[in-house]
Formats: sequence, C-alpha cells, structure tokens
Amino acid sequence: MFISGFFYIIGETVKGLYRNRWMCITSTGVVIVTLLMLGIFMLVNLNISHITDTVKDQVEIVVYIDEFANQQTRDELGRKLSTHQGVEEARYVSSEEHMRRLQRQLGGMLEGYDTNLENPLLASYEVRTVVPEAVMALAEEFETYPGVSAVFYGQGYVENLFAVTGVVQMVGLALMAGLSVTAIFLISHTIKLTVMMRKREISIMKYVGATNWFIRWPFVLEGLLMGFAGAVVPLAGLYYLYQYSVEWVVVNNLVFLNLLPPQTVIIELATYLVPLGTGLGILGSTFSMGRFLKV
Amino acid sequence: MCMKYEKGSRYALEDVSFTIDRGEFAFFVGSSGAGKSTLMKLIIRELRPTDGSLKIFGRDVTRLPRRRLPYLRRNIGMVFQDFRLMEDRSAFDNVAFAMMVTGSSRKEIRKRVPHVLGLVGLQDKFNVRVCDLSGGEQQRVGLARAIANSPAMIIADEPTGNLDPGTTLDIMNLLRSINLRGTTVLIATHNREIVDRFKKRVIYLENGRLVGDEQKGIYTHVH
Repeated sequence: MFISGFFYIIGETVKGLYRNRWMCITSTGVVIVTLLMLGIFMLVNLNISHITDTVKDQVEIVVYIDEFANQQTRDELGRKLSTHQGVEEARYVSSEEHMRRLQRQLGGMLEGYDTNLENPLLASYEVRTVVPEAVMALAEEFETYPGVSAVFYGQGYVENLFAVTGVVQMVGLALMAGLSVTAIFLISHTIKLTVMMRKREISIMKYVGATNWFIRWPFVLEGLLMGFAGAVVPLAGLYYLYQYSVEWVVVNNLVFLNLLPPQTVIIELATYLVPLGTGLGILGSTFSMGRFLKV
Repeated sequence: MCMKYEKGSRYALEDVSFTIDRGEFAFFVGSSGAGKSTLMKLIIRELRPTDGSLKIFGRDVTRLPRRRLPYLRRNIGMVFQDFRLMEDRSAFDNVAFAMMVTGSSRKEIRKRVPHVLGLVGLQDKFNVRVCDLSGGEQQRVGLARAIANSPAMIIADEPTGNLDPGTTLDIMNLLRSINLRGTTVLIATHNREIVDRFKKRVIYLENGRLVGDEQKGIYTHVH
C-alpha cells in the first residue's frame, strides 16, 4: 500500500499539474509577480539600510584633551575611554597629527606657518561607539571626565541622521509587512481558485472512500511546487537585475551609492522568499481544501 | 429515523423505519422531494439523521467518527444520476482510482480493472476518455467503479435518470446481475416502467414518510 500510494501521489501531482496546467501557470504567475514586487522592495530596503548603517558607522566622538592636563591624567583618560563598555575603539590623535590633517585639507593655505613652533591644535581621542545611536549619551558622559577640554560628535547632524534613518526603517518595515500580507492574500486566493475548480474531483474521491490525506497530498505537493517555482523565478530575475544595477553604479562612478554585493543580497532574499513562497503554496492548498473535504 | 435540513423547516424524512437484508434488491420510489435522495445521502453518511439511528452492516453509522467514513464508503459502491466521473481521465483510470484509494496493489489493479470493465461491456473502451463516451457508457464506467472493490452494497440514486429507455434496461440488467452475485442493491428511482418490470421489493416514500413497503411490488400497486 505504502509504495503504490507513494507512486500514486507523485504521479497524481505530475498529472494534476499537467491537466490543470493553465490554472497552475496562472497561479504560479500570480505568485511570481507578487513575490517579484516584494523582492524589489526588499532589495531597495536592504540597500537603504546598508547605506544608512555605513553612514552611522562613520559617526564618532572626538574627545579633546585639556592642554594643561598632565601625562597621568591623559593616560588615565585614554584607559577609561578604551575600557568603556560602550566604546568599540578609542584612538589617540596627537596635536601634530591634527596639524598634518589640517595641512592636507587646506592644501597650500598654511604655507609659511611654522607648525613646529606654533601648534594651537589640541590632542584628542577619536572614539567609535559600539552602538552608533549611543553617541549623544556617551558624549555627555565623556565631557565629565577629568582632562577633557571639549567633546564633539557632529551635534545636530547626528540627531537628524538618526531621526531620518529611524523613519526610513519604520516605513520600510511597514511597507514590507503590508506587501507580505498582500502576497499571502493574493497567493492563497489564487490557490483556492485552483482547488475550487477541482472540487468535483475532490468530492468523487471522497465518495469512493479516499481518506482526507490521500486526497490532500497531491494538492499539497502541487502547492509546494507552485510556491517554490513562484519564489525561484523572481529570485533569478532579481539576481540578474540587481547585478546589472550594481555594474551600472560602478560604470557611472556613483561610488557614494555603497550597494551590497549581489551574492549577499540574493542569499538574504532567498532565505525570506523561498520559505514564504513554498509555505504559502502548501498552506494555501491545505486550507483551501478543508471545505471540500467535508463531504 | 427523522431528518430535517434546517431547524424549523419541514421534515425531509419523518419516522422512516425499515430493514434491508443482505443480498436484497430494493427500489425506493416516490415523486421528486419525497426523500429518496436524502435517504441515499444518509446511508453513505453524507448527512446525519436529526433523530434516530441508521445501522449498516450492523453498525450505527450516525455515531461513526468522520475519520472512519472512508472505510464505510469502501464497502458501499455508489452510482449517481450524473455519473460523477473524472471526465478528463480514461475509463480504466476512473475504475483504477477507486481501487487505488483502498490500497490495492498495482498488480491487483491491472488484473481487476479490465475484468470489471469487461463485466459492464466496456472491454474495448479501457483507454477512451470518459468525456468521449456516450451517456450509457459513462454509466457503465460508474457501475464498474462501484463494483471494483467488491462492495457488500451498491446504492444508486436515479442511475438511469439521464439515459434513453434501451440503455436504461441495459444498466438495470447489469445491476440485477451484480445483485445475483450476492451484492445488496438499493436503487432510488421514479421510473415506473423499470420498477414494474423487475418486480422486486418496493419502498414507497411520500413527503418524507414511508407509505408503502411491498415484496415483488409494482410501482402502481404500492402507489
């Protein structure tokens, strides 16, 4: 029974897909279009997150050392900063290094200025925080440390950046949730239509004494295959589309658009879209059948 | 037993009580709405009676759990007025399907299906799709499917309702020959000619009530 039943189910799945090929193609088409839309949006959202994360990573706190602080105070400040839980890295920058940077930035404008004799720039620690959003709170704390002259972290600019990225992320999540719900609704209804077209077949199966699972399995497998195809096809399309976009960005020298590599993006999309597609296919066919099985 | 489709509505069947012996051949007759189809649906447990019990093969099917229904139905071959075949499949596939669901092996199916299709006179139409068969031939496929698993009982709801008189007689003769092999046959019909011709037990229903039950009855007599 088991072997013949197994072959029957596989055979029926293949035959069912062939017999109802136009309906299956339509259903799979709906899955493809819906997941393609979701995929495009995810691609955009992933890259926006990536770009904002990159910008956030560049946010740092500059802790200027009081020019009158003695060596012990300076060393103690360096130790406190680098061992702080919220700090990823605290790098010492001498006043000479600051001057060299300034000269590089201003080019020839400091020509004739004896930097060895008159260097008014203060030495500092450049602090990168573990969590970029913590800069404001940490800057306030560092200001109270002995030996600190001033603390800068791009006040005003950083607050705006975090506010904007916060909104972008919230909107992104809301749109993704909305699109996912739409995808679930569209796909499950299309599969329901496929099952409804075969309700006569299902009722005949019931009359001749087929168990519910015997009837369900071929439909479940069909749903799985349709959902899987509906996820893999847009994935392949998105991969080539995205690869082309990345190349276009490089060719047109738009380096500020720091896009994620295609492989990384596709893996991320696949881990979401493939289970979503196949899961919806299986659940769609299983639940759509419930009503017809009560004969 | 009694049967109401909805609370407050009139009885589709009211205080109906009868016994059918193993191997019997019986007609359920009556005009449209008399309750014949409801009775057939109760026998295969498509419906449950509102009140009372219905014992089939000695077991009260009204208490049968839903998951046990397939096993009840495997012992009852069903024949319908509209044939209820999978029209895009061959005659062979339709009969084989009924055996497949009961767990028959491929070997058994390959042996048995041609045999039953031969019994109903379709030995040369195994591979013809059902939609390409005539009405009479489709009903023969329905009969072959009903007897494929050698059920103890065949129930037929207006099995000749869509057939011409000549084909009707063929189908009825097939049902009689199935009965002669020991299978209980219950037929719901309002075809007077057939009932009168076969002179079998006739159970008459009117407005959901059993109003007559006669061995070797004639439609007109009972009426």
